[in-house]
Amino acid sequence: MTYGEQELIASLRHKDEQAFSYLYDHYSGTLYGVICQIVENTELGNDVLQEAFINIWRHIDSYDETKGRLFTWMLNIARNAAIDKIRSKGNKQTQRQVAIPNNDSLPLSVSPRLDDFGLKKIILKLKDEQRQLIDLSYFQGFTHEQIAKALDIPLGTVKTRIRSALTQLRSLLS
Amino acid sequence: MNIKEYISSGIIESYVLGLATQQESQEFEKLSAQYPEIAAARNEFELALEQELTSSTVTVSGHIKQNIVQKIFSPVEDTEMAREVSMETKPGSNFIWKWLVAASFILLVGTAFWAVNTSRNAKRLEKERVALLQQLSRTESELNAMKQEAAIMQKPDVKMASMNNASNPMVYATIYWDTTSKDVYLMVNNLPKPASDKQYQLWALLDNKPIDLGMIEARQDKLLYRMKNVQQAEAFAITLEPKGGSSTPTTTPVVLSKL
Repeated sequence: MTYGEQELIASLRHKDEQAFSYLYDHYSGTLYGVICQIVENTELGNDVLQEAFINIWRHIDSYDETKGRLFTWMLNIARNAAIDKIRSKGNKQTQRQVAIPNNDSLPLSVSPRLDDFGLKKIILKLKDEQRQLIDLSYFQGFTHEQIAKALDIPLGTVKTRIRSALTQLRSLLS
Repeated sequence: MNIKEYISSGIIESYVLGLATQQESQEFEKLSAQYPEIAAARNEFELALEQELTSSTVTVSGHIKQNIVQKIFSPVEDTEMAREVSMETKPGSNFIWKWLVAASFILLVGTAFWAVNTSRNAKRLEKERVALLQQLSRTESELNAMKQEAAIMQKPDVKMASMNNASNPMVYATIYWDTTSKDVYLMVNNLPKPASDKQYQLWALLDNKPIDLGMIEARQDKLLYRMKNVQQAEAFAITLEPKGGSSTPTTTPVVLSKL
């Protein structure tokens, strides 16, 4: 059985179990990939993926199609859940809070396997500085203020550079 | 505003990837509802992103789906997961902090309001308390004065004489004369209010001669008026005199007594 996006959304809102099964089968692999790139640990990734899908299911009524596609909404739920997880994980978080690594020692990922797909693969094509900013903001979930403080750059500059990195990223997508 | 510039500013990517601030997101949502070009550009980026990301997947172990399905469709609610998530949420725990800050602020404002209110109430109550104290001390001194007056009237040596009007029984006054100390007290029971240039004067009569016992200051809160002493008297009278009094009565008495 296949669904059009409108149909899928409507069925999900009616709490249709088949629709959920379809949603999971179609998007779990992709979302799991994004989650693992953020938490850098497949075991943690399992937990986050479960949380993400449960949240998607529970909050489907708050999804507003005028604000974006269903996939975008789910992607943001998955990313938020993953960033919540690394923030609540004491060990990793303390390290990250204390110091944002500088350009020279920026580890892109613990496992190289998690770098060669999705956005992580694309940002490899960006300049170091741009890659770092996207890594810090998108994959590590730091706010612009935190980045400005850690890198000792004015907030406005951080914002401008991230925006320009994002438009660069976009051109690499299409 | 320049829509093209806005579209190419990076706001679309920032919004879709969840990196925009809440304020930027709200503005973006407003503008994309207003300008179809913005919504179209957003949709275009979303599709490109979706295509890119769904082109690669990481295999998930099969038991995960079972776990989720069990949690979702089993009747027991899992409250641990009941967290609000939406596209507007800021990355990570910042979201929670914002709420905490907002909640603290509301609490602070509430407390301040309560404090101001309480202090205002306290000031009002203090004012009322002072007013009541003043009222109480006034009442107390009035009561004491009346007790003293009552004591005078009950002394065994005090003679009482009522002074009556010849034609109107409602007009009268009372004399209390202490035959030991010779003090004279007058109780004005009911005398017509004199004209503003007139005043009542009390006389003692001895051998048909009047002796001036003083002017009567009309005051409502006084029960007894202390008048001049007199050694001997056969009768008392009150006449209406020009203000300041006369040396001998110029009118017939308003009230008259016999001891």
